[in-house]
Amino acid sequence: MHMDGPITGISPQAPAFVATGLCKIYKTGETEVHALRGVDLSIPSGEILVLLGPSGSGKSTLLNIIGGLDRPSSGSLLFGETELTQLDDADLTRFRRAQVGFIFQFYNLLPSLTAEENVRLVTDIAEHPMDPAKALALVGLAERSDHYPAQLSGGEQQRVAVARAIAKQPGVLLCDEPTGALDSGTGIHVLKTLAQANRELGTTVVIITHNAGIAAMAHRVIRFLDGRIARIEVNDQPADPSDIRW
Amino acid sequence: MVRALDLKLMRDLWRLRGQVLAIALVLAAATATFVMSRGVHHSLTVTRDAYYARNHFADVFAGLTRAPRSVVSRIAEIPGVRRVEGTLQQYVTIDFPDRVVPVRALLNSIDEKGRNQLNQLTLRRGRLPQAGAPGEAVVDEAFAEANRLAIGSEIDALIYGRKQRLRIVGIGLAPNYIYAIAPGDIIPDNSRFGVLWVGRRALEAATDRTEAINTVSLTLERGASEPDVIRAVDATLAPYGGTGAYGRKDHLSHAFLDNELTQLSAMTRVIPPIFLLVAVFLVYIVLGRLIRTERTQIGLIKAFGYSDWAIGGHYLKFALVVALLAAALGAIAGIWMGGAMTRLYAQYYRFPLLYYRISPSVILSAAVLSFGAAGAGAIGGMRSAVRLTPAVAMSPPPPPSYRAGAIEKLGKAARFSAIGNMIVRHIARWPGRSAITVLGVALSGALLFATMQFIDSSRTMLDSFFFRAQRQDLTVTFTEPRNEDVLFQLSQLPGVLRVEPTRIVAVKIGHGSRVECTAIESAPLDSQLSLRIDRSGAAIALPVSGLMLSRQLADKLVVRAGDHVEVEMLGGRRSRLTMPVVSVVEEFIGERAYAAEATLERIARDAAPVGAALIRIDPAYRYQIMTHLKDMPYVLGITEKTAALKKFEQMIDDNMLTMITFYVAFASAIAVGVVYNSARILYSERAHELATLRVLGYFRSEVGMILLGELALLVVISVPFGCLIGYGMAQLMTAMFSSDLFRLPFAPSRASYGWSVVIVLCAAMATALGVARRVQHLDMVRVLKARE
Repeated sequence: MHMDGPITGISPQAPAFVATGLCKIYKTGETEVHALRGVDLSIPSGEILVLLGPSGSGKSTLLNIIGGLDRPSSGSLLFGETELTQLDDADLTRFRRAQVGFIFQFYNLLPSLTAEENVRLVTDIAEHPMDPAKALALVGLAERSDHYPAQLSGGEQQRVAVARAIAKQPGVLLCDEPTGALDSGTGIHVLKTLAQANRELGTTVVIITHNAGIAAMAHRVIRFLDGRIARIEVNDQPADPSDIRW
Repeated sequence: MVRALDLKLMRDLWRLRGQVLAIALVLAAATATFVMSRGVHHSLTVTRDAYYARNHFADVFAGLTRAPRSVVSRIAEIPGVRRVEGTLQQYVTIDFPDRVVPVRALLNSIDEKGRNQLNQLTLRRGRLPQAGAPGEAVVDEAFAEANRLAIGSEIDALIYGRKQRLRIVGIGLAPNYIYAIAPGDIIPDNSRFGVLWVGRRALEAATDRTEAINTVSLTLERGASEPDVIRAVDATLAPYGGTGAYGRKDHLSHAFLDNELTQLSAMTRVIPPIFLLVAVFLVYIVLGRLIRTERTQIGLIKAFGYSDWAIGGHYLKFALVVALLAAALGAIAGIWMGGAMTRLYAQYYRFPLLYYRISPSVILSAAVLSFGAAGAGAIGGMRSAVRLTPAVAMSPPPPPSYRAGAIEKLGKAARFSAIGNMIVRHIARWPGRSAITVLGVALSGALLFATMQFIDSSRTMLDSFFFRAQRQDLTVTFTEPRNEDVLFQLSQLPGVLRVEPTRIVAVKIGHGSRVECTAIESAPLDSQLSLRIDRSGAAIALPVSGLMLSRQLADKLVVRAGDHVEVEMLGGRRSRLTMPVVSVVEEFIGERAYAAEATLERIARDAAPVGAALIRIDPAYRYQIMTHLKDMPYVLGITEKTAALKKFEQMIDDNMLTMITFYVAFASAIAVGVVYNSARILYSERAHELATLRVLGYFRSEVGMILLGELALLVVISVPFGCLIGYGMAQLMTAMFSSDLFRLPFAPSRASYGWSVVIVLCAAMATALGVARRVQHLDMVRVLKARE
């Protein structure tokens, strides 16, 4: 299936993603690793979702498939009305370009570009981007926009990564251990920015973490074990990130 | 049991096989060129020397009008002379009834009993002429092949206007005619000029020179002074019209072969070093990168207790394996190409057997060069590996630090896109490696240009010689110089548009202590058919009186316009006079002096100013004119300009194109090797960034552009450098390839610049595209999991 034009068609509160029977098998030589063993999940638009689970439980695999970085071995994944598993590489790239903001544990900034240019990398190709300066201001780095990654602290680098992710005003923010390499103060600053994006832009936020404390800010918490969803917890009173401690 | 470190070496080599092969190809090009040029040089030299020794090629040669055979024993008494031989030579016209073009041949007398001692004939087939059988002849192999003559064939020779039938009884070749060329020609045309040997008595009878000789050849005692012997021979032969004795270096056949050998050794000196230099750089950057990526492993291995030397040796071995591969590939390619070159040479240089044998020492030297270059390239990497302390090595390398430098400011001012900035800043971040890429690609372009411009050079020489200087259609040579009547006779032939006389007189020209045996060529002052053309292409008028010297001759004599020189005519009246040098002309071919008709007559004083006639004809009458000329008894030969031109072009096509094909392949190998290695290193360094861009929503094509963009920028930067280096290299090479016989003009065409740029761009871009395809296989997930 090819898409004509941007992938849209998600109304507020409608499910952003609907996964049905998602399986992922990695073949390494003779052995097969079952990373996902049939995941059924619906993620409503505008939700903050935290995925918890030990290493190898399948949460990163799910995140990568949702983000269009990887394909499931079987099952279906709808984004709005678009079946993501049917898209070819170019359409998946368009999907990421238009809808997905990624934040990683190790920031993945381009060392040869300044903070502002790292953000521009995304705003150059997005459809409705915000001004890079505004995105940096949102994460509190307006003053450091001319600095190269090597001249920024880890926390500052991660905030640039957040600014880069939200600058395109994505439908969904996918965060893989976003605070994993940060001290708690800096980590909370990053989480606050994520919550702010969710609140002010209506962005769906999916966070993978080992840190159970972060679960407090989620609308829902999903626990993974052995490639399956072990438990779903609904949080009626999500905490403000500034109240989280670890 | 293979040691663990060696096991790692083998796996590293296999993992980096593409890069290893790319470096090996560049090194192999060096080895191949070296083996080819040294190999062919060696084969030709060995073959020539063996041939000279076995057939007793003489050391000194002299021509004279006529002398009694007894003069030979007088020359034999000259101190330093080992063996002397006197023979008769006679230019004749061969009449092939079915051909309208008269064919010239040089008859040599030969002892019917095979008692010749110098310049001995090697018989390929048949036998020598027998005493008492005056019509028998041996014909040289090239002439026999070109004219389909076999044992038993009969040809008619016009000797002194008398037709004599010659029966071919043998086919052979001799060391004094390895490169058999007609007088005045610059390239052999075996169908129009040949060498024949007939019995001494028979030739004496046919030319009315019983017990007489007109050429002398001699060999020298070991340690004898050639100039002293030449002086003594000249003195002895002066009364007999001696035209000046000369050594091997002025012997036409020897000089042409020597010219070729000079060019081969020039090639050995210029071209392999370029490849070696590039290979040094490539090994340096590839090993450097390998060691950077293996920091942790190096630390670990050292922590296990391996010595610095073991680690250094490990990486040196990497380079040496590349060298070994290159030496093997290069030797095979070089041997094969040398064989092809030798076969080409065999068409122009006739040897009884052209041994093509590559001596082990050539291969060994090539291998030493290859190992040396790889080792030199490895030193930098080895040093950094040896210097790493385990603790430092095992911690991750400091992140690439980019700062706001000049390039960054430039990018900002030029409002580059983010990708544009990534490209430019990465180049600035690794200036050394970027410079190596630029230099490597530039050298590849330079080499291409320097090779291809040889075609321009030859064409310019050709154009100057055949179109600007020589405007006649035919050159008619006579059996001996004639008076002006012959011009009138020729002008009466239907279809002849213009006739001009010319004459070449052998002279000695002296200035101070320097003396050169050369010739003066005459032309009418108002000549339209023979012009003296300067390097710039302008015609220079002949001086009304006095001489014009070619630059080569003027330099040898250390003469400038305005100086006076001593002129001594060789043969004839042997007149001596002092003459002014009025002008000097820069010419590409040969070296001689020029004078107006009247000036030369003052030297020769024989009222026979017409040595040859230059004729312009109406092409429609060619057949009739040729038929008439063929019937004139005093016409010795006819040179048709178009035929000579065609021969020359064919030689360029055969010889140069073969060479140029080799070099296009080699120069492309440099471009491919340099770009491939740069691209692979670039790719491995940037895989993380490229994957990040893919995650951010950049398409494969856009991500590929970052790789290609950086390489393209470097390649584009290299173009002007390539042209500049090529310009210098081409000048050096044309100078090194020039000899007494030819001075190659430096006259590159725009097409040569264009083609070298296009070929380099194509090779570079095809290689870069090949590497950029790897973007297809970028594993975004895996890369992003890892720390940079």
